This record gives sequence, C-alpha cells and structure tokens, in this order.
Amino acid sequence: MIDWINNAIAGLSAQEQFALFGLLKILVAVFAIVLPLVAYSVVAERRISAWIQDRVGPNRVGIPFTNVRVWGLGQPLADGVKVLLKEDFTPAHVRTAYFWLAPMVAMVPALLTLAVIPFGSVLGAQPMVMADLNVGILYTFGITSLSVYGIVLAGYASNSKYPLLGGIRASAQMISYEIAMGLSVIPVFLLVGDLNLGQVIAYQAGGAWLVFKQPLAFAIFLIAAFAETNRLPFDMAESESELVGGYHTEYSSMKFALFFLGEYAAMVAVSAMMVVLFFGGWTLPVAGLNQPATSLGVGVLQIAVFLAKVIVLMAVFIWVRWMLPRFRYDQLMQLGWKRLVPLALANIVATAAVLFWQSTKS
Amino acid sequence: MIEGVAFYILSTVAVLGALLAVSRRNLVHGVFALLLFFAALSGLFVMLMADYVAAVQVLVYVGAVGILQLFAIMLTEHVTGDDLRRLGARGWFWGLMLAVALPVVLLLPPLLNGEPPVPPAAPQSTARQLGSQLMEHYVVPLEVLALLLTGALIGAVAVAHGPEKDPPGKDRPA
Amino acid sequence: MTLNHYLVLSAILLGIGLLGVLTRRNIIVVLFSIEILFNAANLNFIAFWRFGPNPEALMGPMFALFAIAVAAAEVAVGLALVIAVYRHFKTVDLEKLDTLREP
Repeated sequence: MIDWINNAIAGLSAQEQFALFGLLKILVAVFAIVLPLVAYSVVAERRISAWIQDRVGPNRVGIPFTNVRVWGLGQPLADGVKVLLKEDFTPAHVRTAYFWLAPMVAMVPALLTLAVIPFGSVLGAQPMVMADLNVGILYTFGITSLSVYGIVLAGYASNSKYPLLGGIRASAQMISYEIAMGLSVIPVFLLVGDLNLGQVIAYQAGGAWLVFKQPLAFAIFLIAAFAETNRLPFDMAESESELVGGYHTEYSSMKFALFFLGEYAAMVAVSAMMVVLFFGGWTLPVAGLNQPATSLGVGVLQIAVFLAKVIVLMAVFIWVRWMLPRFRYDQLMQLGWKRLVPLALANIVATAAVLFWQSTKS
Repeated sequence: MIEGVAFYILSTVAVLGALLAVSRRNLVHGVFALLLFFAALSGLFVMLMADYVAAVQVLVYVGAVGILQLFAIMLTEHVTGDDLRRLGARGWFWGLMLAVALPVVLLLPPLLNGEPPVPPAAPQSTARQLGSQLMEHYVVPLEVLALLLTGALIGAVAVAHGPEKDPPGKDRPA
Repeated sequence: MTLNHYLVLSAILLGIGLLGVLTRRNIIVVLFSIEILFNAANLNFIAFWRFGPNPEALMGPMFALFAIAVAAAEVAVGLALVIAVYRHFKTVDLEKLDTLREP
C-alpha cells in the first residue's frame, strides 16, 4: 500500500506534487484539525465555565440514536443542527449586502493566519507548513489586523445603535492592541534574527524556549491576544450586559454561528502563533523530538505535540474568561497605551542592549 | 500567461476600487472600496517580487489606515457615512480636465519610446537584506522617520484632543 | 508583463487620485484620494526597481517603505485635523471652510 502511494507520488512532477500536497494540507488542516478543534473548544468552554461556577454543564448528548453518552461530546453535533435549523432572520433595516458579508469576513482571517504556521516538522518529504514565507510574521500580523473588519462591518451593516457602538469600540480597541502586540514580538526577532516562523522554531530547538528568555514579551503578547480576539476581559465589542450583544445583536442562525465560530477560530490561530513564537512550536526537549522527524511516526507525534500545546493555551483563554470581570473602556485604553506600549518599547531596548553587549564581549 | 491574467485582474480591481472610493456618496462604502484598492496593490507588489513591501502594505494600509478612516467617519457628521450634499467642488470641470491630462502627458515618453530593454532578472528582496541596508545606508533617514512618527503621534493626539471641558479631578464617565 | 503595463496602471491610478483631490468637497474623500496618489507612486517605485538595472541596491522597496511610513503619519495627523475641524466648524465640507478668504 505505502509502496504504491510512493510510486504514484514519484510519478508526478515537482509542481504537481506541490499542488497536490498543498491542497491536501489545507483540506486536512482546516477540516480535520481546525474545525473540530473549534467545535470542541465551544464544548470545553461550556464545561469549564460550568466547573468554575459549580454547575454541571452540557453532559447529555452522546452518539446520536444510541444511548451512549460520552460526557457530552456529541454536543457540537447538536449545536450545529440547532444553528442550521433556526430561522435565518434578516431585519428590514439592515444594509443587506454588508450584512451578509460581515460573518464571512469575521471567519476568514483566522483561517488565513494558519497558512504560515508550521504545525509539524516533516511527514515523509513534505514540510508541515502550507506556505513557508520569508516574511511569515508580517503576514500573520497583516491578516490578524483584518479580523476587525468583520466586527466593524457587522456594526455598520446592522444599522442600529448597539451594534454600531460595538463596531466603533472594536475599531479603536483592536488597532491599539495591535501596536502593543507588534512591538512585543520584536525582541523575539532580535534574538532569532529571522522573520521566518520555521527559523523561530529552529532557534528554540537549539536552546531554551523563548517564553523563558522573553517572559515580558510573552505576557504583553498574551494580554494583547485577549484584546485581539475580543475575549473577556476585553470583550468591549460584544459586552452583552452593556450593548445587548454588541456587533452581533441583529444576527441569528448560521450567520451568528459564523461570528461565534470565528471567535474560536481566532483563538486557535492566536494560540498557534503563541506556540510557535514562545513555546517552541512542534519541538519538545525530550526523546529527540527537537529534530525534524525522520520517520512517519515521529512526524505525527510532533504534530500531536503542537496540537497539545495549542489546546493548553486555549484552556488558558477559557479559564481567564471565566475568572476576570470586564474592563471599563477607558481602563482598556489606559492599559494598552500607557502600560503595554511603553513596556514593550523598554523590552525592545533592553533586549537590543543585551545583544549588543554580548556581541562586544565575544 | 498566469502572470498576465493575474495582472489584469488585480489592476482591474485596483482601478475600480480607486474609482469607487473617490466617487461614492456614502463614505463607508468609499472606505471599503479603498480597502479593495489597497489589497489589489499588495497583490501587484507580490507580482513584482517585493514580498516585504506587500506585507507592510497589508499591515499598514488595509489593517490600520482603513480602520482609522472608518473611525474618523463615524466620529464626524453622520455615523453611517451618508453625505447628503452636492458632491462636486467649485471648478470640478477644470479638476477633471487636469486629472485626465496629467496621466496622458506623463505616459507620453514611455509609450512613444516603445518597449524599454527589460532585463528579466528576478531580484531577491529578503527582509534580512532590507534590514541591513536600513542599518548601513539609511540610518539617518530611519532616525528622521522615527522622529517624524513620534511627532505625528503626539501631534495627532494634541490636535484631536481639543479643549478640556470638564474641570480636572472629576471622575470621567466610563 | 513589462514595465509599460505597470506605468500605465500607475498613471491611471494617479489620475483617479487627482480627480478625487480636485473635484470632491468632503475632506475625508480628499484624504482617500491622497492615499491613492501615494500608492500610485509606490507602484512606480517598485516597478522601476524590478525592471531597473540594479535590483540588488533595493532602492525601490526602501523608498516605498519610507513612503508608506510617511503616509501613515499623514493619515494620523490628517484625520486628527479632520476631527478638530469638525469639532470647530461642525462640517467637513471644504467649501464651507473659507474663513481665511477675503470677503
């Protein structure tokens, strides 16, 4: 079987191989990994929140048409059916074209970000990254900055008060925290000396993970990530107790679900970025997992290591959401501009000074 | 072949986006058209092998400038961006004439001289080379730029802040 | 694709930008048009670099990067001015802002 596959692959030209494996990677990564991860993080959110609040949470849905309950793990299926079958109501006062466009714009950037993330070393001869860009990190920041348009567009398209307020809040909040986020990773690239994300992982495989070398950068990045994904304590665009539901007040059914899933997809994307930048990507400093895989089994294991790290960070996102209250809007801006940006700048200067001192010493 | 198709699609999107941006009555529609224009230009930069500039284009223009403009529109006049007045300025006819004439004049030399001798070299502009160039040959402009950006940041805050209305010391509303 | 293709595109974009600057009355649209002008110029820088004789010097991308940074500063200050003007005159119509004009 494997020989047959190998022979079939060897018969293709380099371009055909690139196209085939590129398509395969996109299909598998999006439909077999990211979307299930998103679906189950919704369940995880509900179970963890229930656990924190001393409730039970959704534990009923199992395998359909049987009596087997697997701790409520069938819940995404039930949620999906519910969301698709609900009435898709479009209010009369909305701007229809933008109203339809907004949920798509909200979902797409998160998935696009994943294109440059190296989620494993190699499987066979194929590098486990969809697009190995020289300017990988700039690309991720460029795409992340697009995610605000989904929210602003929704606020504008809904043509009513609360969504618009949510949209305005989101625009100011996300542009402010993007600055802090961008500044916080500069020390990482001062250390690594390359913008390619694969090189960042290679650097960490050769020494300590960057979270230990740059704890301040990681802290700033993490805080900014909460703001960029619109999660509590920074969910000013949504804030259901002030703005009803913020930008998605007027949305229902599958359009609402796209916003909802977009938020979780953004969490997956930003967690994956943090894993690559600060937690060594697919490497693990035990049992030779630091080196690119030589066999299929090790390659799969490294992908599993990467996913495990992503899941741990997702759990942190969920945990923080249920532990902290929402910030006030002016507090949010104060924190972003007067605390995080100067701290990030100081961190850059300090890192550059240490690197300069080291280079003069040797 | 593929390159030609990509070029024509991207340039059509760019021209249409720019035309819509300057001609739409509703400013919010205008911003979204402008975003299309920026994105298409970023694609053209990729075609010209300037991947770093393309990424910066997306980051700065599509990501930041567009949002700033939306924010400014929503803070001024109609939140929804509808502009209900007459669109054209006084003397729009001469403006139109000039806007048509200038590109034509600019294009005369290259079009009359025919095809320039094109060296089909494929330059590699990696971030590393750009960085070392910035630090070696362009240090002074870089520092001036840093000063300019700081000045712009402070200036923008000072200009947009306006006169203080509330007496100091009172709690600001959330 | 040759250099001339890019030059024609850039000239058309420049024309559209000029059209907006010269014929619209809304300050914000004029700012849009200035952005279009900047971008048309950047396209020319990159195109001349790509088809020029000395691509290793990276003059084109460098100039484009500086232009983008300056444009970002321009947008920030420009929009702050728009907000200040709006607060003072309650309009963003350029033809109403003529208080410096001789009566």
